[in-house]
Amino acid sequence: MGKIISLQKWLTGALIFGLMLSGNLASAQDEVASAIRRYKAYEASTGYYEEYEVLPQRQRPLITIPNIRQGLIPYSPTAASVRSRTHLADSHQGIRFYAGRQCADCHTAAAMDIHTTRANLTCRQCHGGEPIASIHYYWSPLNPIRRHAYVCSKCHEGASASYAAYVVHAPNPSMAGTMKSFPVLFYAFWIMIAIAVGTFVLFIPHTVLWGIRELFVKKKKTGGEQDEQE
Amino acid sequence: MNRNRIRRFTPLQRLSHIFLIITFLVQSATGLGRMYMETAWGQRLCWFFGGYEASREVHIWVGIIMLCGFVLHVLYLLAKVEWKGFPQSLFGPDSMLPRPADLKEFFQHVAWFFGARKPPEFDRWGYWEKFDYWAVFWGMVIIGVTGLLLAWPIAASRIMPGWGLNVALWVHRIEALLAMGHVFLIHFFIAHLRRHNFPMDRAMFEGSADLDAARHERPAWIRRLRDSGRLEGMLVTDSMIGQRVLFYLFGYAAVAAGLFLLIGALINVPHISW
Ligand code: HEM
Repeated sequence: MGKIISLQKWLTGALIFGLMLSGNLASAQDEVASAIRRYKAYEASTGYYEEYEVLPQRQRPLITIPNIRQGLIPYSPTAASVRSRTHLADSHQGIRFYAGRQCADCHTAAAMDIHTTRANLTCRQCHGGEPIASIHYYWSPLNPIRRHAYVCSKCHEGASASYAAYVVHAPNPSMAGTMKSFPVLFYAFWIMIAIAVGTFVLFIPHTVLWGIRELFVKKKKTGGEQDEQE
Repeated sequence: MNRNRIRRFTPLQRLSHIFLIITFLVQSATGLGRMYMETAWGQRLCWFFGGYEASREVHIWVGIIMLCGFVLHVLYLLAKVEWKGFPQSLFGPDSMLPRPADLKEFFQHVAWFFGARKPPEFDRWGYWEKFDYWAVFWGMVIIGVTGLLLAWPIAASRIMPGWGLNVALWVHRIEALLAMGHVFLIHFFIAHLRRHNFPMDRAMFEGSADLDAARHERPAWIRRLRDSGRLEGMLVTDSMIGQRVLFYLFGYAAVAAGLFLLIGALINVPHISW
């Protein structure tokens, strides 16, 4: 009897200790991986929710950079390897003078997206207060497994995970790097540009030359109904 | 009165064109207003339609009205097809479908610009008119599909992944810029500024074209009508002066609005983040 009670105490203790270690459980975590339907009825993003619904996954829409090394990555030719910051609880951990800086000092391009420039959002409205977790940190509100519910739907009522696959910090579609990171955007952009430029390259000189040429035409007045041969 | 004009467009066709002018200008103004929201120019454009949010509503609903017009136009086309003798009947000289002769006329026309050849004898439609027509046709499809996806993004992300909206926005943007550039520069120039039409080709408003001008530029059309004995029945008199004033006012208001949008957009290009 005494043995069982002490086993129970041990188990309870281990459980509490384990929960303490694992950080806050997000309430979106109580989603079940249903065998029938859950998101599937509403979404067409990956179709894999039923198996992986509550697992952290990198659901980046074809915008992974092939061959990039995870974990330790070389920072520069001279420096030692630095830590990849994509999975940290505090993504800015260890950065000197962090408190005195502004997000856009380093994330210049990221502060130029439509959400910032048009809707006047500040970084923290989505990324939260300190410490700002890496997107792929398991408990981050912006982790792809829950960002639609935790972040997007604050403004976009009914946002789904597929909806959240919209690339907020979209790369510049014209750049060569985008060919690897977001090929559909890159090719759609350049095909459309080719059509537009092609039209103008053909029609602007055409129209200008036409306008000039007509200045040298005499308008004939034959006046009204009579219709002799030209 | 002198019957010095020849019927060219039906009242329904003229109405469609006015419908397109108005919806296109509203779409351009509201779309550019939002796109240029970071600039004072864009803010003023949006202000005109009731602000940043309201401009989006206007853009979406006028866009839907425009697309309904497009659907009606397609139905109209289906009703107009001569199903007897289909599909050869589609390629007659009164049809907007391109024919090999258009390509020939294009090269001959360009050669004429340089004084190398005689001008081509156009039939009812010149190649540039056919190009404009089909550009609008496909433009409607592209801009309409992407516009609807952007208008209801949550519903759209049920049928495609959300990153499709990134693509849709850029396709919509570039197609819109192409359409506006083409209309405000090239279409306006051809219809207003070239000497043949200066100060304005009223045909699309009045329904009839100047017979002398048509004889000069489209002799094949006039000859064809004369040989088949239909020319006499298509001659009409000029419109009344009051109507003409109205046509000019409307036409020039559209040109002014278009140039205002084009110049404002070009000037402000460096001031927005893309
Ligand atoms: C000739 C027709 C049209 C023109 C010239 C036009 C132009 C534009 C432009 C310039 C933008 C701004 C892109 C940006 O924000 O960077 C835009 C956005 C948009 N357009 Fe259109 N558009 C047209 C037709 C349509 C149609 C038919 C629809 C669908 C109903 C539509 C729906 C939208 C939507 C939802 C947006 C995003 C608005 C926003 O949130 O800023 N547009 N359009």
